[in-house]
Amino acid sequence: MARPHIEPFVDRDVGFKKLTLPGFRKGIQYKMLSMDKETGACTMTVQYDAGFKQPPGFANSEMEIFLQEGHLMIGDKRCEKGTYIFAPAGTSLPAMSTDEGCLALVFYNFGPPSFTESDEDHDKADKTQKRTMVDSYFGMDWQVPTLFPQTAPGCLLKILHLDPKTFAMTFLYCMTPGFWQDNISYHDVAEEAYHIWGTSWMMQFGDLPTGGYFYRPAYINHGCFRSDLGILAIGRTDGDLHNYFHHDPFSSPEENHHRAAAKLARMKPALYQWILTNEHNHLPHDFEFPDDTYDTSGYDSGIHMHEDGSSHSHKSAGAHSHLNQKKKAKK
Amino acid sequence: MSFGSTTITGNVRPKLTKEELAFVKQELTEQLERYNKIVQEQEALTPQREKWVKEFLHRIQTRGYHVHAGMKRVIPKEEIRPRDGRPLQVIF
Repeated sequence: MARPHIEPFVDRDVGFKKLTLPGFRKGIQYKMLSMDKETGACTMTVQYDAGFKQPPGFANSEMEIFLQEGHLMIGDKRCEKGTYIFAPAGTSLPAMSTDEGCLALVFYNFGPPSFTESDEDHDKADKTQKRTMVDSYFGMDWQVPTLFPQTAPGCLLKILHLDPKTFAMTFLYCMTPGFWQDNISYHDVAEEAYHIWGTSWMMQFGDLPTGGYFYRPAYINHGCFRSDLGILAIGRTDGDLHNYFHHDPFSSPEENHHRAAAKLARMKPALYQWILTNEHNHLPHDFEFPDDTYDTSGYDSGIHMHEDGSSHSHKSAGAHSHLNQKKKAKK
Repeated sequence: MSFGSTTITGNVRPKLTKEELAFVKQELTEQLERYNKIVQEQEALTPQREKWVKEFLHRIQTRGYHVHAGMKRVIPKEEIRPRDGRPLQVIF
């Protein structure tokens, strides 16, 4: 399962389309930001038109909503901009309506958009997680990231949702005016972000303005960074975010992947050795979550690079390229 | 790979309807067009990007490289890895 590398994409450059999938009420328009090629999981900018009304109901997929502009009534609660909602798959949300219309980001994490009218949860609803709703603008404080290594001073976070098992997270982040970070970064996880306000610059992609979006698979270089006037953005990862900093602008995703593995071997030699040499070479097991399985054979980091510089994603595991293999074959 | 919880690995109704499949197919077609447009735009940015890279390499050898938070280190010339003809591909 994977989404392609979409970076940068500015949603202000394209028009809205009406969402006409069965189940949804009239008055929803959307711009698709990215979609998983296998599951239809997607991230969209959504406009709920003035007068929009929707009865109670659930999505088949886990869903997140971030309100950018306007207000949205959810049940009897008036949600202002900055409201973030996390709804586990199949859990019913109260009726929704807006008099003046509103603009939101909507994330369907495991499938395409769906809506089934119901004031009860689906009988297979995800009961392991709770529905949450937070006022991210006025109900939370900015935090200095506690990562090591850490982003340069002036990049602050508000964690909106953190998956307790994977540490996948949804977060607001800001760069203060004059922010500058002179290094190149990559991660083991995919990352996506949307600029709610402001423009930042990256050495690879240039300016990303208000309405700018990216979905970036793992191990792809990004940075250095700069923002003259500051930004406010929402970001997500699909796992634990570690900053791998370096200063080689030409390293490939494959090299970055190798470097990350080398770092794991250096920093956690016992774990690395266990992974490599465990006699039975079986999948790991977590006694805290005995029913979980860790078969990653279907994992696709989304990138695959050829010697001619072209790239695509495919179904086999991991990011890799044929660059070195072909060079070796020539010798 | 999907965002979020690993406790549920799909929809509560895994099989997509005919309408959902058509929706996904159409969106993926448009996504490929967006991707190709991005590749072209980023290709056109190459000359400018090459300048940005030169400036970056100069800065980290003079002003410093962000190692962690506000901690910086000036990178000596011998630590700059030679390019050796490597492409500056940014979209994958």
